[in-house]
Amino acid sequence: MGRRWIRWSHKRGMRTSLIGLTFLACAFLKLCLGLGSYSGENIPPVYGDYEAQRHWMEITAHLPINQWYTYDLQYWGLDYPPLTAYVSWICGIAAYFINPTWVALDSSRGIETTTSKLFMRTTVIVFDAVTYVPALFLFSRTWFSTRSKRTQDLAFLLLMLQPALFLVDFGHFQYNSVMLGLAIMTLNCFATGHDLLGAVFFVLSLGFKQMALYYAPAIGSYLVAKCVLLGPKDGGKLFIRLGLTTVATFILLFLPWIPPFASSPSAILDPVSRIFPFARGLFEDKVANFWCASNVVIKWRKWATQALLLKASATLTLLGFLPSVAVMGKAAWDMKTWGSPAGPGTTMKAPETKDSSGSDDKQSPTSSHTPILPLLPYALLNSSMSFFLFSFQVHEKTILLPLMPLTLLFSGATPDSAVFLWGALGCNVAVFSMWPLIQKDGLSLQYFVVILLWNRLIGHNPFKIIYTIFSAKTFVHLLSAGVYAAILFLHLLEPMITPPARYPDLFPVLNVLVSTPVFVSLWLWSIKSCVQVSWAITGPSGLSVESNEHKKYSSERPRTISKSDRTRTVSLGYTQGKRAKRSSTLSAAGSSSALPSFASVFRDNSNSGVVDERGPRL
Amino acid sequence: MQPEADASSGPRISWLDPSAWDILVLSTVIKVLLFPAYRSTDFEVHRNWLAITHSLPISQWYYDTTSEWTLDYPPFFAYFEKILSIPASLIDPRIVDLNNLNYDSWSVIIFQRSTVIVTELVLGAVLLKFIRSAVDPSTQRIISASLFLHPGFLIIDHIHFQYNGFMFGILLWSILMARNGNKLASGILFAVLLNFKHIYMYLAPAYFIYLLRSFCLSPSGQLEIKNFLALANAVIAVFVASLAPFALMGQIQQLLSRLFPFTRGLNHAYWAPNAWALVTAADRVLLRYAKNTGSEVPINLAGVASTSRGLVGDTVFAVLPNIMPLHTFTITIALQSIVLIKLWFHPSYKSFLTALTLCGYSSYLFGWHVHEKAVLLILVPLSLLAAERHAYFRTFVIATVAGVFSLFPLLFTPTESVIEVVYSIVWFALLYIPLSKRVYEFPKSLSYVILDVLEKIYLGGFVLLQLFVVSFPILISWYSKRKGIADCIPSEEVVCPDSPGGQTMEFLPLMVTSVYCAIGMVWGFMRLMYIYLNEDTTYQGQLSTI
Repeated sequence: MGRRWIRWSHKRGMRTSLIGLTFLACAFLKLCLGLGSYSGENIPPVYGDYEAQRHWMEITAHLPINQWYTYDLQYWGLDYPPLTAYVSWICGIAAYFINPTWVALDSSRGIETTTSKLFMRTTVIVFDAVTYVPALFLFSRTWFSTRSKRTQDLAFLLLMLQPALFLVDFGHFQYNSVMLGLAIMTLNCFATGHDLLGAVFFVLSLGFKQMALYYAPAIGSYLVAKCVLLGPKDGGKLFIRLGLTTVATFILLFLPWIPPFASSPSAILDPVSRIFPFARGLFEDKVANFWCASNVVIKWRKWATQALLLKASATLTLLGFLPSVAVMGKAAWDMKTWGSPAGPGTTMKAPETKDSSGSDDKQSPTSSHTPILPLLPYALLNSSMSFFLFSFQVHEKTILLPLMPLTLLFSGATPDSAVFLWGALGCNVAVFSMWPLIQKDGLSLQYFVVILLWNRLIGHNPFKIIYTIFSAKTFVHLLSAGVYAAILFLHLLEPMITPPARYPDLFPVLNVLVSTPVFVSLWLWSIKSCVQVSWAITGPSGLSVESNEHKKYSSERPRTISKSDRTRTVSLGYTQGKRAKRSSTLSAAGSSSALPSFASVFRDNSNSGVVDERGPRL
Repeated sequence: MQPEADASSGPRISWLDPSAWDILVLSTVIKVLLFPAYRSTDFEVHRNWLAITHSLPISQWYYDTTSEWTLDYPPFFAYFEKILSIPASLIDPRIVDLNNLNYDSWSVIIFQRSTVIVTELVLGAVLLKFIRSAVDPSTQRIISASLFLHPGFLIIDHIHFQYNGFMFGILLWSILMARNGNKLASGILFAVLLNFKHIYMYLAPAYFIYLLRSFCLSPSGQLEIKNFLALANAVIAVFVASLAPFALMGQIQQLLSRLFPFTRGLNHAYWAPNAWALVTAADRVLLRYAKNTGSEVPINLAGVASTSRGLVGDTVFAVLPNIMPLHTFTITIALQSIVLIKLWFHPSYKSFLTALTLCGYSSYLFGWHVHEKAVLLILVPLSLLAAERHAYFRTFVIATVAGVFSLFPLLFTPTESVIEVVYSIVWFALLYIPLSKRVYEFPKSLSYVILDVLEKIYLGGFVLLQLFVVSFPILISWYSKRKGIADCIPSEEVVCPDSPGGQTMEFLPLMVTSVYCAIGMVWGFMRLMYIYLNEDTTYQGQLSTI
C-alpha cells in the first residue's frame, strides 16, 4: 500500500507536498489513537505512566531543581535523566500558563479532564514532531541519498508509522520518540561525518532516557573504530575531541546538580541513584527476554542471589554485544591504511584523506563517509537486542530500542528480501509482545487496527506467510510462518478460554514463550549480518573480483562521486531482486558506496570459497 | 496474526483491486480509531430506535414517547433499525431495553459504530461501480475515493453518529443506474431512499422531471405508456411496502406529524450557512446600526429579544420583515423551476446531475429550518461533476471548502475539533492537487483573472477564520481577566458567572463561521446556476458523452 501510494502521489505531482502530507496524515492518526485510553486511566490511586509524566511536569514546574529528584519519591518520583526533567519543566510551564489546575502541586494528582488529556497528548505529538520526525526525514535523505526519491519517501512513510512506537507513545503514553529521534540524529550525523555533533546528540539521547545506553556499545565501538581507521595522528585527535565533547555535554546536562550550582557534591547522587535502580529485581512483569522465558523452567530467583544474578546478567549482556564490537574493530583494523601504504582498495583513499578533516564539524560536507558505516545499524541492533535479552530490569516497552535499528534497516529493503522479512517479523512480534500491556491499557481495538494498517502499508500478509509454509525456502520464512500461526492461535484462544486459577498468567507467559525465540533469532541474525557486512566492506574476496569489475565501473564511479556534491553514504538493505546485478558489482568493488545485498555477499563469498556456516542461508 | 487482517488476505477476489483494498483498510482503521470519540445525542437517538423497534409492536413505533428522541424517520428506516436490533439483542440485551436510557457501555458503542461502518460499504460498492464504467477511470477513482473518505461522512457519521454513508450509497446507486440507462431502477431506488429518510425530498423535483421526460416520454414528446406504467407501479409499490402497515392501522396522520414537525424556526440552533444566515446577520447589523444612529426604523421588539438570545430558539427579525415558511417555499420552488425547465429540454445524464445538485442546493439555501448536515446533499452529487471542467471544479472547491468548514462547529469537544480540521486539510490536499492539474484551463479574459484572484482570497480567508475561531475564546478570557469582569479562571471545575455581553460574544465565532461559509455557499450556487444555464462552450467535459 505504501509503495502504491508513493507511486501514485509522485505521478500526480505531489512530490513536494508529500512529506508534509505524510506528516499531517500521521499526526491525524496519532490524534485518533490518542482518543483512546492511556496507561492507568481511571485507576486510582497510582494510575500509570501517563500520570507519572504529568506528575513530573507538576513537580518540575513548581519545585526548585534540587528537589526534583527527591520530592515524595513514593508517588512517581522522577527517575529519568535530566533532559526529561527539563522537557517536563517546559511542558509544566506551558500547562501552568494555559490552565494552572492541570499541574497544581499535589492537588492535581490523577487529574483526568478532557482538556488536560488533550494537552498531554499534544505535548507528545509536538515533541515527536520536533525530534523524531526531522530525524527520520534526515535519515531518509542522508542514508538513502544514493537511492531514488520514491524510496526515500517510502522509507520516511514506513518509519513514521512504526506500529510499536505508535501504540506505546500515542496510546499507552510515553515520550520514547524523543529518545529514539535523538539517537537517529546521531546516526544522521555519523553518516554525514559530523562525529562530534553525533556524540552530542547521543549524550542528549542518553540524557533523555537512560535506556539509550543499550546503543552505547555500538556507538562507542563505531567511534573508536573510526579513530583506529584514521590512524594514530588523526584518529587520536578525533578521539580526544570526542571524549571532551561527550564529557562536556554530560556536565552541561547535570550542571544543576554539580557543586557550583548545587549545595553539596553529593547532590549528583540524587539523580544518579534514581536513574539506575539496581535494587530492583531481575525482571518485573512478564517480558519476552531470556530471563523471563527461562524462568518458566528454572526459577532463577530461588537458585541464585540477587548479586549473582546481577553479575550473570552483566556477563551475558557483554557476551551478547561482543560480536558486533569485535567485528567493528576487526573491520576497522583490516581497512586501516595508515599502516601499510597499499590499502585494500583504491576507493579507500578518498574517505581516509577527507575524514581527517571531516571530523571537524564545520568542514564542508563534500565527503566524509566512513567505510564501516554500514555496520552501524546491525551493531546497534545487536547491542540493543543483547541488552533486551540479557540485562537487568527490562520492561516490555524496551523492545522499542532494538526495534529502531531494525526498522531503519527494514525501511530501505525491497519486499521479499531477507531484511524485509526479518523487519516485518520483528515489528509484528514486538507489537505482539506488548499485547498484555496494551490490553491492560484498554487499547485492544487500537492494537488490532494499527497492526492491520501496518501490515497493509508494508504489503506484508501474515496469512499468506502461514499459507505458504510448506513452500518456505528460507529460515526466516519458516520462523515467521510458525510464529504467526502461534500468535493467531493465541489471539483466538484467549477470548474463549479463561486461564485456570493455578496459572492466572497463562497467556502472558505463552506470549513470552512465543516472542522470545523470535528475539533470540533476531539477535543471532544481527551477529550474522554484522559478519557478512564486514566481509562485504573489507572484502576478503573482494580483491580478486574487484580487479575484474572495477575496470568496468572505475571510469564512471569517481565522476558520480564528484558530481553529487553531497556526502555519499550507504544505503540500507539494498537488496536483490531486479537490482541484484548492480549491487553485486557494487559490493565487488569493495567499500565503495552501497551496502551490498545478501545474495551478492553470498555469491562473492562462495566465489572465494568462504562459506558461512553460522546460520541457515537467508 | 490479526483476525481483522482477514480483509486484506484470503483468496484473491477479482472485484476489488489493491488500491480499493488500501482505501478500505485505511478508512476502516480511521473509523475504528474514532470509536472512543465524542458522540452526539444522535447516538442515543438511534439506540432508542433500536429499542423501540425491538421491544414494541409495529403499531406503537410512531406513538412511543418513553424517550424524548421519538422515531421521526420514514418506515424503511424503522425496518432497518428493526433488522439491526436483532444482532444487537444477541450481543447485549440491554441495548434494546426501552427504559435503559443513555446506555453507553462499550458493547453498544462498538455495535452501533460498527453498523455504521458496515452499512457504509454500500457506498463503497457503488463508488467502485462508478469507476468500472467511467469515461475516465483514473479521475473517477480519485473522486470515488474522495467521496468514500469524505470528511462530511467522517464528521457526521463516524463521530457525530448517523447513517448518511449508507443512504448516500443508495442515492449514488440510483444515480449510477441513471448513468447506465436503467432509469426504472433509478426511480425505484430513489423511492426506496425517500422512505429511508425524507430529507432527500430536496432532490425529488429533479428526479421527477428527469424520469418523466427521458423515461416516460419519447424524445419527440409522445407518452411511453409502458414505461410510465412500469415506473408508476414500481414507485407506488415501494411506498405501499413502506407505508401500508401504518395506513392499515390508520396511523398516517401520526406518522406525518412525526416526519414533518413544522413548529420549528427558520434557522437551526447553529445557523446553517444558507441565505437566511446572511439575512439574519444583516438584520443584526441593521439593528445595531439603527440603535447607534437612532434612526426612525420600526423595530420589532420580539426581534430585539431574539438577538439577545444569541442563536438559540426561533429567529424573529428586528428590522427586516419576518420570513414565513410560505416565503421560503416560494423562493425554493421558483429557483428549482428555472433549473427544471432547462432539465426538461436537455434531459441528459450530466444535465440531470447538475439539476439534481441545484435542486438540493436551492432547498439548502432557501429552505425552512435547514440543518447544516444537509450540505452533503449538495456536496455528494457535486463531487461527481468535479472533474468535468475548470468551472465545475472551482465551484466544487468553493462549495466543498465552505460546506465542510460549516460542519466543524458540529463537534465542539477540543480533541475532535483538532482531528476534523487536520483530516479535512489532508483530504482536501489529496483531492485538490491531482484534480486541479487535470482540469486546468488558461483564463480567457481579465475578468476571469480577477474572479480567480477574488475566489482564492476567499478560500485563503478560511485559514484566518479558523485562527479566529480557535483564538477567540482565549482572547475573550484574557480580555475579561484584564478588565476584571470575571475574576475567576474558567476551567472544568469552576464555572464562571457570565459576564455581561459574554453570552452573545460566545456565539460570535459560530456566527462569523456561518456567515462566511454562507457567502461561499451562495456564490457557489450562483456559479453553478450560471454554468448550467450557459453551457455553451464547445468542450462539454467527459460526462456529456453519456
